[in-house]
Amino acid sequence: MSTTPIMTVTNLHKTYGKAGSKQYEALKGINFDVNAGEFVGIMGASGSGKTTLLNMLATLDQPTSGEVTINQQPITHLKGNQLADFRAKEIGFIFQDFNLLETMTAYENIALPLTLQNTAAKKIKPAVETVASHLGIAEFLNNYPNELSGGQKQRVAAARALINEPAMLFGDEPTGALDSKSARELLDLFTTINREQAVSILLVTHDPFSASYCQRILFIKDGKIGQELKRADLSRKDFYQQILDTLGTFEQ
Amino acid sequence: MLTKLAMTGFQKRWRDYLVLFSGLIMSSAIFYMFESLATNKTFLKQNTGISMVGIIFQFGSVLLTIITLVYIGYANSFLLSMRKRDYGLFMLVGARKGKIGQLIWLETLLVGVTATLFGIIVGTLLTLGLSQLLINSLGLTLHHLSAWYFPAALTTLLLYVGLFLLAGFFNLLALTKTPALKLLHSNDQPNRPKLKPARQLVEVIIGLISIAIGYWSMANLDKLQMAGIGIALVTIVLGTYLLFNAIFVWLVVLSKRLPFANRGLNGFTLSQLSFRIRNYTKILSIVAMLFALALGAITVGMGFHRQVPLMVNGGNAYDMGLVNATHSQQQQIKALNPTTESTYRFKVGPKAVYYRASDFDRNPFITMDQAGHNQLKFTTAHNNAKQLLKSRTSYQLSALQGSAQQRLGTQMLSDAQYAKLTQPEQRLTVFATQDVTAHTAALKQLATSQRHRDAGLTGEMLGGRYTGYQLINSMYSGLQFMGFFLGVAFLAMLASCLMFKILSGAAADQHRYVMLDKIGTRKALLNGALRKEIAVLFILPGIVGVIHVLFGLKMFSFIMVGSPYTGIWLPFLIFAGLYLIYYLITVQIYRRIVLQ
Ligand SMILES: Nc1ncnc2c1ncn2[C@@H]1O[C@H](COP(=O)(O)OP(=O)(O)OP(=O)(O)O)[C@@H](O)[C@H]1O
Ligand SMILES: [Mg+2]
Repeated sequence: MSTTPIMTVTNLHKTYGKAGSKQYEALKGINFDVNAGEFVGIMGASGSGKTTLLNMLATLDQPTSGEVTINQQPITHLKGNQLADFRAKEIGFIFQDFNLLETMTAYENIALPLTLQNTAAKKIKPAVETVASHLGIAEFLNNYPNELSGGQKQRVAAARALINEPAMLFGDEPTGALDSKSARELLDLFTTINREQAVSILLVTHDPFSASYCQRILFIKDGKIGQELKRADLSRKDFYQQILDTLGTFEQ
Repeated sequence: MLTKLAMTGFQKRWRDYLVLFSGLIMSSAIFYMFESLATNKTFLKQNTGISMVGIIFQFGSVLLTIITLVYIGYANSFLLSMRKRDYGLFMLVGARKGKIGQLIWLETLLVGVTATLFGIIVGTLLTLGLSQLLINSLGLTLHHLSAWYFPAALTTLLLYVGLFLLAGFFNLLALTKTPALKLLHSNDQPNRPKLKPARQLVEVIIGLISIAIGYWSMANLDKLQMAGIGIALVTIVLGTYLLFNAIFVWLVVLSKRLPFANRGLNGFTLSQLSFRIRNYTKILSIVAMLFALALGAITVGMGFHRQVPLMVNGGNAYDMGLVNATHSQQQQIKALNPTTESTYRFKVGPKAVYYRASDFDRNPFITMDQAGHNQLKFTTAHNNAKQLLKSRTSYQLSALQGSAQQRLGTQMLSDAQYAKLTQPEQRLTVFATQDVTAHTAALKQLATSQRHRDAGLTGEMLGGRYTGYQLINSMYSGLQFMGFFLGVAFLAMLASCLMFKILSGAAADQHRYVMLDKIGTRKALLNGALRKEIAVLFILPGIVGVIHVLFGLKMFSFIMVGSPYTGIWLPFLIFAGLYLIYYLITVQIYRRIVLQ
């Protein structure tokens, strides 16, 4: 595995509320790297700042101070078309609430990032079909989101996030709305994608089971990284146990 | 407790309520505007002189009521969709259905009545402003028009309160009969557009046939009389709806298969349209109807306006005749740059007015005569004394003589005979300007100064085009006014209908646009997508509306001299301009809601 960082985070701060009004510092100086091809989890209690952090990293929100680079490109000051193009080409997201367009079929949802780039129609169809068969949703391509189960919806969302072959994939509690079987399938899928296509993944979760699929876990407490856990050669079961133990002491 | 909860919901969504409120105010204001003419019988009678107009207004009232019904239906479903979640939540926390029912009633009525009261005030102001504007810019004379007209206010209030009572009742049923959970998730309804060729073909055929019947009855209004208008209204509304229903679905589904659907956000826009297809076909057919009515009304109003100078010019070749014009009057005439000016000497005897024939031989007197059967084509004739006496248009000379002399006959004398007459010699100065309607102010001044000098002269006795202008203008003012007034009112109604419908979907679209932004869609593309989506919704009914108008104008050939089609590009252009402004406003508001 390569050790060049695909993402570096330096001294990231986020304060909510305007100067003068009531302020709340959600992130108080976060530093870490993600290596290319790594599968990293972020854990922490509710309100600890996980979503806040992910939004900064994924360009959905701007930090108060600090710097984030993805693929050697500083991203915190991107604006307008540059920002849009960066989101479209370099990163993919999966959210807890799927975020599919219910007006479009699964196929159209997945193809959207390609049509946005005005990719030739000839290339769109095979690309969608490939990623769909990879994620096991080939037979649902003509369904509308409301005709899909939660797990299927989330796989469609994953397909949409992956179709542009992004450098990084972000997930905020992607298994949060799924039953345990669908959650396990989705996580297996992430592992496969991570291994076979070398996509770096950053996963926010408070669920120890989901976290046990990661190679490394960062624990956030009160806006800072409090602890780091590496899976190394542990089996998933052992890693799961280790996470539970850590949470037990960490969240005291 | 529950009331407090309801109030917080209200405060949280004040923006949506603002849209709802302004929509309702606009609608009731327009209804009031219409009624302020329609219920004002003296106004209609005094200003048109055409008995059909009263009946046309009654039809208009019925139509507007139907449209209002649909409009309030939309407003209400918007209100309902805003509150469904809240009420679902109240039920989940254990509120009694009876109590919630009370709340729903109260809220619906409160919103409705307040909006209507505001609407009547706004309507009064609009009527005042618009009528002043029209009167000043078109030079109209109107009698018995009052912006505040109590019967109109009462009609408006009664109709709206009635409709809101109904709406409240409907909401009560809809909300209390639905389980709480369903209310919570009522926003994500699916809608898969289906192609059912056989059914849609039947729809197209029936639609075309009904529209054809409608067009036919409009063209044959002279035979069918009032029944024709009724038939046309019903068949055209029905036909338009069926056609939209069938063709819109096809259009969207087919264009999704075209390569252009794969570019940028075109696919998204088409999906948005097809998602709401059922909702949209109804509103689009109504908008098409309103479009036709508004455009038709403005075109007819303009037709009347254009007709005034045509008719005036046919009545006489001269603007005015002045007896014994003073030096200052002659100066004033010069200042008008007359195209022609002649002076004839005459003496007034007990039986006739005696002219010098030689004056006419030197300066032929111009008369106008109708060319064939067309009422608006005229030939001009230059007459010497002999020709004038023979011509059936010689009355045009005596019309210009003014005062009591008009009642005497006209005779032409040789110079010798003329010299023998002992009466004092007088002069008649006749002149014509390029365009009477452009010089009304100066001509009025001349007329007034002449009336000061000649006590027997009343306003209508100066003869010539200026007098004709006054007569015809006052006759057509009412018709012009109604045409423009109704045109603007219908346009406002249709645009706010459409705007309201589009905006009521904006809240639901918001998260879609947020999502597109998240996956990296350029702002320009997002803007383009929403402009296109709204443009389709504006253009489709526009096209249908224009076609309806082109056929509908035929109806007016019997009250208009000449063809109602001449020069229609001007009202069409004005209308397109106004429509474009509405489109831009809608895009602007929509953008503010979905793109923050
Ligand atoms: N827009 C905002 N304005 C003000 N404060 C905010 C805002 N968003 C989040 N916060 C605060 O920042 C803190 C971190 O919130 P964040 O959403 O990142 O938590 P989280 O770790 O994702 O929690 P959860 O596991 O419940 O999702 C919380 O205390 C929250 O109240
Ligand atoms: Mg969170």
